[in-house]
Amino acid sequence: MDFAWLLQSLLNGLSIGSVYAVFALGYTLVFSILGIINFAHGAVFTLGAYLTYALAVGHFGINGLLADWTMPVTLPFVPALILGALLSGLAGMAVERLAFKPLRKRGADPLLALVSSLGVALIVVNLIQYLVGAEIYSFPADIFGDLPMAVIFKIGGKPVAVRTIQIILFGASLVMLAGLGWFIGRTRGGKALRATAENADTASLLGISVNRFILGTFFISGLLGGLSGTLIGVSFGVAGPYFGVSYGLKGLAVIVLGGLGSIPGAVLGGLVIGLGEAFLPSDMSSYKEAVAFVLLFAILLIRPQGLLGGRLEQKV
Amino acid sequence: MSGFFENYGFLLVTIVQQALLGLSIYFPLMAGQLSLASIGFYSLGGYVAAIMGTHPALAPLREALGFWMFPLEWLGALVLSVILGIAVGYPALRLRGIYLALATVAFVQVVNVAVLNMPIAGGAVGIFGIPQAFESRLDYIWFFGPLFLFALFLVWRIGNMGRGLAFFAVREDELAAGAMGVATTGNKVTAFVLGCALAGVTGAMSAPFLNTWNARQGTFDASVTCLAYVLIGGSRSIWGPLCGAALLVSLPELLRPLKDSRMILNGVVLVAACVYLPQGIMGGLAALRSRLAGRGGAA
Repeated sequence: MDFAWLLQSLLNGLSIGSVYAVFALGYTLVFSILGIINFAHGAVFTLGAYLTYALAVGHFGINGLLADWTMPVTLPFVPALILGALLSGLAGMAVERLAFKPLRKRGADPLLALVSSLGVALIVVNLIQYLVGAEIYSFPADIFGDLPMAVIFKIGGKPVAVRTIQIILFGASLVMLAGLGWFIGRTRGGKALRATAENADTASLLGISVNRFILGTFFISGLLGGLSGTLIGVSFGVAGPYFGVSYGLKGLAVIVLGGLGSIPGAVLGGLVIGLGEAFLPSDMSSYKEAVAFVLLFAILLIRPQGLLGGRLEQKV
Repeated sequence: MSGFFENYGFLLVTIVQQALLGLSIYFPLMAGQLSLASIGFYSLGGYVAAIMGTHPALAPLREALGFWMFPLEWLGALVLSVILGIAVGYPALRLRGIYLALATVAFVQVVNVAVLNMPIAGGAVGIFGIPQAFESRLDYIWFFGPLFLFALFLVWRIGNMGRGLAFFAVREDELAAGAMGVATTGNKVTAFVLGCALAGVTGAMSAPFLNTWNARQGTFDASVTCLAYVLIGGSRSIWGPLCGAALLVSLPELLRPLKDSRMILNGVVLVAACVYLPQGIMGGLAALRSRLAGRGGAA
């Protein structure tokens, strides 16, 4: 328990936790408007990583139907990241059109929307596998051009390393969080979004086009999902079409830990889980994947509404 | 006919086996509790049977018991599932709706990571060479068939006695049921533990059936598939889980000529079923029947 280890774990935890927060916000936005969890969010996360990969590297891997396809142009990493995220936003809109709108129109059980979004996730994930193959491949190491891989400094004689990707993860997440906070808190669109989240019927009486706002929410949600998919993909390597499934579940743990539907809660939940994973002693590292769920189970038992969630209402 | 059973015997037994898992979700759902914990208990039950069937320390016991080792494995899985079910159920059932569903998902994930890290469970590779009860896969229907009939009987019996009425009361309105003097917590835990026990025993029967057992049996995808059996089959009919399992298990087989794209179609069927059959297959049939009856009466 020396200071260098503490600092290193803190840095690792903050950078990965901030990406968890961005990813989880995609769930939170949809949940706060529709009261439904969008299980296709993990698939959009995977899609974002693949799209950015194709835009930045120029091809879709070496297997599958698109193996011989090469992009006419390749982009530098940052524009590829932004374009990939925007395309993921469009994918998010497609998810709403396919899995949620038809059910809403028929007034079906909200539980069914959960299954239909899983159906869409199944379609997306298997379509990716069909088109680009099932093999694992990662972003090239020189994706950031001339930037050094890591900066290493010493504290009390022990090295602490800050990887370039960690700074980028943290920076990009901060920009996204600030942008989202500004949009929701300060703009007319954000105000309408909050009104729709509060009560969709009243909002539509007040002249807000609810369907358009739901679609917009799915766009932002998909954008956040695709962006975090790319960032985590660059950090750990894109691990095949099923890469989003475990992160999809971890994202759920994040939002419930923070409080379902609470935006600051999602950020706090992401950081808590990121830090929890980073501070796990190295001899227990094989249990890393369980950290989020143990924390989730514990918080549900102590405080069922999550860290920052409002009081759960009892209907009488 | 014998050719049919040779080709599709495994599939038919798998349908019953999966329908059992669907029923294990149906039990808590009878009391209005959406729990996805079943697959965790299924996984643990399978590990109990796999370890009891292969561990060298138990070799003398296996020789002494012969075929009767299998019922002993079921008993082991049953006892473990009931104890763990009560331990998880009491605290978790304070939660409602989506919170309960997510807490049970968390339970399944923790079980999964735990078995991956336990040396006795064989790590990521799992356990191989589990002793077989029968020569042919089709014969495993003698394991799953009676259990399925028993589970169906239990559902039917519960629906026709005071306990069942209490379950349904809790499902429709927990607060009102409590005010009427129904022990809501007790009923919820009973329904939950019944589901856990059924899933655990199904797992113990499945380990020899599948010959190998590993952590892939207990994934989140598997939990959701089980929920889909119930929802697509019809969550208010006891035949719903069987119908849903029959459709979703046989679909990839029927679509086998399509090779890689069949999983995509599986997803399409899932979405289409949600949109066009919101009451499930059984609900859709019931609606069709009443419509036909209504037309008959008018004429």
